[in-house]
Amino acid sequence: MERNPIVQMKNVTKKIGPKTIIDDLTLDIYRGEVFGFLGPNGAGKTTTIRLMAGLIELTDGDILINGHSIQKNFEKAIAHVGGIIENPEMYKFMSGYDNLVHYARMFPEKISQERIDEVVRLVGMEKRIHEKVKSYSLGMRQRLGLAQALLHSPSLLILDEPTNGLDPAGIREVRNYLRNIAHEQNIAVFVSSHLLSEIQLMCDRVGIIQNGKLISVESVSNLVENREYVAVRIETEPVQKTYELLKQSYPDKKVTITDQAIQMEAKREDLPDINKLLVTNGIAVYEIMSNKGTLEEKFLEMTGGNIDV
Amino acid sequence: MFNMLNLIRNEHMKLFKQFSTWVMVGLLVLVLLIVGIATKYLADSQTSENWKMQLQAENQQLTEQKEQVPDIGKSHDVLEERIAINQYRIDHDIPPIENKTLWGFMNSATNLTSLVTLFTIVIAAGIVAGEFSWGTIKLLLIRPVSRSKILLSKFMTTLLFALYNLFILFISSFIFGAIFFGFEGKELPYLAFVDGEVVERNMITHILTLYGLNSVDLIMMVTFAFMISTVFRNRSLAVGLSIFLMFTGQQVVMLLSEYEWVKYILFANTNLSQYMNGQPLVEGMTMTFSITVLLVYFILFVTMSWTIFQRRDVAN
Ligand SMILES: Nc1ncnc2c1ncn2[C@@H]1O[C@H](COP(=O)(O)OP(=O)(O)O)[C@@H](O)[C@H]1O
Ligand SMILES: [Mg+2]
Repeated sequence: MERNPIVQMKNVTKKIGPKTIIDDLTLDIYRGEVFGFLGPNGAGKTTTIRLMAGLIELTDGDILINGHSIQKNFEKAIAHVGGIIENPEMYKFMSGYDNLVHYARMFPEKISQERIDEVVRLVGMEKRIHEKVKSYSLGMRQRLGLAQALLHSPSLLILDEPTNGLDPAGIREVRNYLRNIAHEQNIAVFVSSHLLSEIQLMCDRVGIIQNGKLISVESVSNLVENREYVAVRIETEPVQKTYELLKQSYPDKKVTITDQAIQMEAKREDLPDINKLLVTNGIAVYEIMSNKGTLEEKFLEMTGGNIDV
Repeated sequence: MFNMLNLIRNEHMKLFKQFSTWVMVGLLVLVLLIVGIATKYLADSQTSENWKMQLQAENQQLTEQKEQVPDIGKSHDVLEERIAINQYRIDHDIPPIENKTLWGFMNSATNLTSLVTLFTIVIAAGIVAGEFSWGTIKLLLIRPVSRSKILLSKFMTTLLFALYNLFILFISSFIFGAIFFGFEGKELPYLAFVDGEVVERNMITHILTLYGLNSVDLIMMVTFAFMISTVFRNRSLAVGLSIFLMFTGQQVVMLLSEYEWVKYILFANTNLSQYMNGQPLVEGMTMTFSITVLLVYFILFVTMSWTIFQRRDVAN
């Protein structure tokens, strides 16, 4: 892996009106890695991507791509970037193929017809590529979006929630393809998602963004190790007695009372023991639930619940 | 440069892959066809065999009128010009151009340039705003091409669309004219009045001059629509405002023509033919003055469009 970062985000800040949408974000991305950008809806993923693509101006800081500032040297910086930003919106009244021809014409080096055909094959659109985009499903538009991003063989691929609208088979395909091009062609792939499971399967490193702040950058293997701890919610009667009991039995774990229920972190295999402990002490157990719903909860799960949301 | 050519090709592709574009081109030809048919079968013949007597009578009337009305501005010049041209026709046996001839039809077809203006305003209004409403602007702007070049390719494509339509109008008016009215009288010249003398001009040159003069209004209104489309990213606003101004601008200027400052309004200057026949709107206005005013407005519209398009956050 080349150690020169292809993307250097330095203290990137974006304010819209009084609101700080991206807050002092510093991050390097390297060739050959799939970098996951994880955060709940409204965290600032799309905004960060728009900043990287030069669609909006930075309020502060700078973004260098291949050493060129996206603000001061836009054309050089963007030359080796391919991307999808939010939904891949195409010209609906033209065929998928014409859409690709349109984008292919916008690069200084000529993009051959063979290359267009190659990309079409890559995303598996051969059969429908000459039909109007109007008639495409969201999944097909997503594929066409990927095709236009790959046309000029970019060294940085930026994809904003690329599996939106894809079926499970399609998701698996995209995932494998992205891992492949990153590792074999030494491309940096920057993927945003609000789904932890997706990031886990696809990425080498993951940055977590929340309320515009980058709160952690870790390799996925680390995250997965942390996963053996889950946040557990236990509904019992009486709550106070349960709390004291658990505090006593698991002094190294964080136990709290939230909404009249116990919140704690535990290993999955501890759960039967916890249950037994409570029952033998005469506590009525109504529910033991390990949280795996929204990203926020998962996120709490991963980081051991020590960050306020 | 090669780059620019590709961008213009792209804009052409997008423009002509839209059905509505062809509807406009088709409508233009259809309206012209209807005008042709109406002229051939519904309109009365204005002049007859004894056109010389008619012109003589008209000249007599004009001379009386000249004696009655006081010479304000250039009102006498206008009358003198009409009289001189009529007299020239009588003396040199050149009958006036009839509606029901090739030249007559091609002459009246030049009025349809306002329809071309209308259609081009619609194109100008959509060519930038459309990318925003379709959401395609994001993928368009993340290419190694500066925003100013993209905007330029759009502006040029808009003007080229107008040019194609003017060309189609000219050619089809020739074809329909030839089919409906034949080539009778094709040798007749256009009579111009230059420096107190009547001169003969080639009719085609005259018709092309009319297209040129009408294009001034076209370019200004289209540039205006393009600016509104770029600044507000709103197609309907751009179409509505431009067409509203196109239809009311002239009238408002007429109403206010007693005020000196009215000459700085765009619409007081778009009709350059006011310097060729008749009197300018405000005493003392000259062709040079109008062209300067037009240029100032044009530069203003273009600067607004480019500055805003280059700075704008694309965040929707
Ligand atoms: N143009 C804008 N004006 C004001 N607020 C905006 C604008 N664009 C995004 N935001 C706000 O910025 C935050 C981040 O949005 P976004 O980057 O789209 O999040 P994500 O892609 O992670 O879901 C949201 O709270 C959103 O409301
Ligand atoms: Mg988003």
